[in-house]
Amino acid sequence: MTSKHWRERLTYAAMSAFVAWHALATIIAPAPDASGAIKTLRMPFQPYLSFFKLDNQWDFFAPNVGNGSQLRYIVEDSHGNHHPFVPDRELSWYHPSFFWFRSWFNGIFDNPEYADAAGRFFCHKHAALHPLAVILLEAEQKDFVPEDQLVGKKPLDPEFVAVTTVKKVECATS
Amino acid sequence: MRNIVTFAREFFANVGRAWSQFWFQSSPTSPLEITRIGIGAALLVNYGAASAYLFDFWGEAGFVPRDLVWNDRTDSWVQSVFFYFSAPWQWIAFHVLFLVCCAALMLGWRTSWVKWLVLVGHISYAYRAPEVAYGVDKILSCVLLILCVGPVGRAISLDRVRAVRAAKLRNLAAAPPPYASHWAGACVRLMQIQMAVLFFYSAVGKLRGDDWWNGDAIWIVFTTGDHYNRLMLDLLASHYWLVNVATYGTILIEIAFPFLIWQRRTRPYFLAMAIALHLQFAVLMGLFYFSFVMMMGHMSFVRQEWLARLGEAWKRWIGDMEMIYDGRCGFCVRSMAWFLAFDGLRQIRIRDFRTAPSPLVSDAQLEMALYLVLPDGRALPGFEAYRYVVLRVPGLWWQVPFFYVPVLSRLVGHPIYNWVAANRSRLSSLRIGLATR
Repeated sequence: MTSKHWRERLTYAAMSAFVAWHALATIIAPAPDASGAIKTLRMPFQPYLSFFKLDNQWDFFAPNVGNGSQLRYIVEDSHGNHHPFVPDRELSWYHPSFFWFRSWFNGIFDNPEYADAAGRFFCHKHAALHPLAVILLEAEQKDFVPEDQLVGKKPLDPEFVAVTTVKKVECATS
Repeated sequence: MRNIVTFAREFFANVGRAWSQFWFQSSPTSPLEITRIGIGAALLVNYGAASAYLFDFWGEAGFVPRDLVWNDRTDSWVQSVFFYFSAPWQWIAFHVLFLVCCAALMLGWRTSWVKWLVLVGHISYAYRAPEVAYGVDKILSCVLLILCVGPVGRAISLDRVRAVRAAKLRNLAAAPPPYASHWAGACVRLMQIQMAVLFFYSAVGKLRGDDWWNGDAIWIVFTTGDHYNRLMLDLLASHYWLVNVATYGTILIEIAFPFLIWQRRTRPYFLAMAIALHLQFAVLMGLFYFSFVMMMGHMSFVRQEWLARLGEAWKRWIGDMEMIYDGRCGFCVRSMAWFLAFDGLRQIRIRDFRTAPSPLVSDAQLEMALYLVLPDGRALPGFEAYRYVVLRVPGLWWQVPFFYVPVLSRLVGHPIYNWVAANRSRLSSLRIGLATR
């Protein structure tokens, strides 16, 4: 009887400890690291947050939405001709790959180290053009106001984007 | 001194009671089960679609090279099984196993260990290609962990069907009580806190941005490449006040939700608002996966009494159903045990005509086939009885495609049923499945 009583108490204590731990982790994880107190508080939770991928900011479209960017690339063939492509146009909104590819494209802008892999992929994809290089471009969107929409313009028209080169990747010649 | 001790003792006793009341109210797992089914289905569809891109996104030399990810890690606790694979068959085997586990999680089959494999798999995909993962993947890992520690699979699942069937094989009239526990209540609470915290930080983050304060955020969202929607922009450009309403409305819901979702009177409204918000994200912004996962997380706020009332209303609408079977036929009893195990709402009453003859159907008729008696006095024999029931018992809806193919179902179903009924004594001696007792 006593052992059952103690077992129940221990179970209750363990359950209480876990819910307190997890609830605190849930609240602390997204807290901004601005203060030293939060940093200190977060320290014991960090392995738990990292291992289970709970370390999230929940900052969807925040603090600002941002204008967004579009990946474009130019295939340079052996005759020196340039063939422009917009990979977004091949994606379907209704397929999960839409956001994988879009996230990957954004990843390339943030971390140009990924550009080499992207370049290799596009070289391979356009092998029929006998590419010498692929030039990856970022088309950064500018402000697009309702008046622009009302006169029939689109957010990705040339006047609303600033195009910069991310990286030129040489294609391997076989 | 004694007063202080008494006060302290009472204070801590009250705190303990409040703690227990908040966390450990005995609760069924139904809200978590709805989340489990939805999350399992969402993962299955999403990662099923990922099969074609397995090596591109998660492979050793894919779009996101492993060495780069490995070197960029800031924390050794960031782990993925994909970091340790070397041969292509390992990727394929793991992916197939993961998809099977997602399906099993959705169906609630061997849930107690399958859920952990799904969690490990999901985290592994997300950490292997962090550039590909986005908001929904973060939410999923939080929700999956709570499902893992929670006692899911005890209701609306194949595990429950197996448990009920085992009880019914011992006694067909047995009705195992629905599972409920204090731990289930705690896990429902953890899920609720997760969703409330997510909304709170999402709102606080937005309040730091000019786009939201100025009321223009929704306009900007629809102009970005990710969510470009020409029809929406046409509408919003000509009625810009809609942008302001939608922007401020989004913030208002996100701020109010974490505080007002707990109250009995306001919960239905805020739950409806949160679901409506995510339906709009899905339809207008193309965030189908994200929105569905969020809605499944919100299911933790569905009260048990709402589900019970819904079940009662369904039962009243469908009406009473009595199945009359042959209790001397072992095969019939085993089949009934299987069939009734799916009747979670207990809509079907049973009668063994050997021990309790029916006033409506003669024994001679019952020697030929099982019968279903309806409230209006109609008696449907054999295949027609099953056909009637599968459409009206939610747990049997998965059988509807077999019973309702126009012409074909009846053309094939009747002869099969008649053959089984005529040979049931021989089938009983085969003792398929567990032996009758």
